[in-house]
Amino acid sequence: MHLVVDYKKCRRAGQCSYLHPELFRVDEGGAPVVVVEHPDDESREAAEEAIELCPNGAIALREDK
Amino acid sequence: METVITPDQLLAPEVTADPYSAYRQLRDRSPFNYVALPAGVIPGLEEPIRAWAFLKYDDVYGALRDHDTFSSVRHPLVEKAAKAALVLITDDPPRHTRFRRLVNKAFTVRRIEALTPWITTVADELLSVVGQSETDLVQYYAIPLPIRVIARLLGIPRDQYENFKRWSDAFIATPSTPSTDDTERTRDIQEMMAYFGKVAAARRAQGAEDLITALVEAEVEGEKLEEWEILGFCMLLLVAGNETTTNLIGNMLNVLAERPTLWRQLREDRSLVESVIEETLRYESPVQRLLRRTTRDVEVSGVRIPAGDIVQVYYGSANRDPKEFPNPDEFRLDRDLRNHVAFGTGIHYCLGAPLARAEARVTLNSFLDRFSAIRRGPTPAVRQTASQLVLGFWHLPLVLEGER
Repeated sequence: MHLVVDYKKCRRAGQCSYLHPELFRVDEGGAPVVVVEHPDDESREAAEEAIELCPNGAIALREDK
Repeated sequence: METVITPDQLLAPEVTADPYSAYRQLRDRSPFNYVALPAGVIPGLEEPIRAWAFLKYDDVYGALRDHDTFSSVRHPLVEKAAKAALVLITDDPPRHTRFRRLVNKAFTVRRIEALTPWITTVADELLSVVGQSETDLVQYYAIPLPIRVIARLLGIPRDQYENFKRWSDAFIATPSTPSTDDTERTRDIQEMMAYFGKVAAARRAQGAEDLITALVEAEVEGEKLEEWEILGFCMLLLVAGNETTTNLIGNMLNVLAERPTLWRQLREDRSLVESVIEETLRYESPVQRLLRRTTRDVEVSGVRIPAGDIVQVYYGSANRDPKEFPNPDEFRLDRDLRNHVAFGTGIHYCLGAPLARAEARVTLNSFLDRFSAIRRGPTPAVRQTASQLVLGFWHLPLVLEGER
């Protein structure tokens, strides 16, 4: 599984990088960048929380192709 | 010709009712320092409170993102003027982070989606008594809808709805002249705190499925919340969940009443509903400004701002900045609306944004289902001027034309 941000939905609220800086950083324009693309078992829970708490529903875990 | 506006006039009621000319004239000169609260407007305030106004999009965005430099903890004088201690909105990390975690999960997109059918039944109920003649949609719809929704989330019974509105109005009122009588406002706020204190005690004795129960049972690092913290949460959720959504709904219906072609277009194509909500948030932002305080000397747009100063961050002006939004005074659905700051940005991004959007979505769809047109009637609409923080209506009389 890999962690993705849908930039069409993202409104740069900044909650993901605030609550889970270990998974997301912010670029110069304020947009989130995924730091840990493939969360392991340990960071999986944090990734799921980031997905749940994104106010714009812009984060997802996708199956690896 | 536009009347020439000076910074101190940002406090004037006519600017609160219609701030855009002031923003247009003053934006390029900002940040500037001005009197944000004149001496004497609250008992014991002997010196005026001065503040820096940030009116440019980049300055507003930058301040909201740099929460280390622009603290949310209130200046003691501002705290005094507010009369009650809140949480979250007046906290910095790490306290803010811990508190936000407590309530975050009640307002997720998924949780709010699950509430949508119920919000729709409340909207239906309110609209069932709306006739075809001119109706004040603020009084009959935009006020009661958010109150019922937030009251249900908090677990407050119906008989308190009227008190809820009075208390939250008192809370956000910004006294602006020394003659303002503050006694009633103080009494309302004290009454609100006493009521929430009573409910919290009842929930401690016996829990229910509501947010107040969640708060009295919550533990942060092994410790229960203190009484003032619980009350601060309740007041924040009530006030923020209520007034702002009333204003979003009122502002949206007003914009649409002035645009009959857009109304017909929306009835044909509901995929435009989301853009109408987002463009309303930008074009007529329900929250016009909030406060920060500098923790260090900082330079903003070439102006040096000393540590410890109060900053007023103008969301409403940022959202009309032509550098970010070309032709900002036009209501357009073909813009990129992901960048507006109506809900702020960064760590304090509006907790209730998914709820506000859901209430606006339910409203617009319910109105579109029922009414072939909405338009102004003979009675003029009245903008609110009691709080400088928000943009909205006291009265919005509109004529709703039903299907024939």
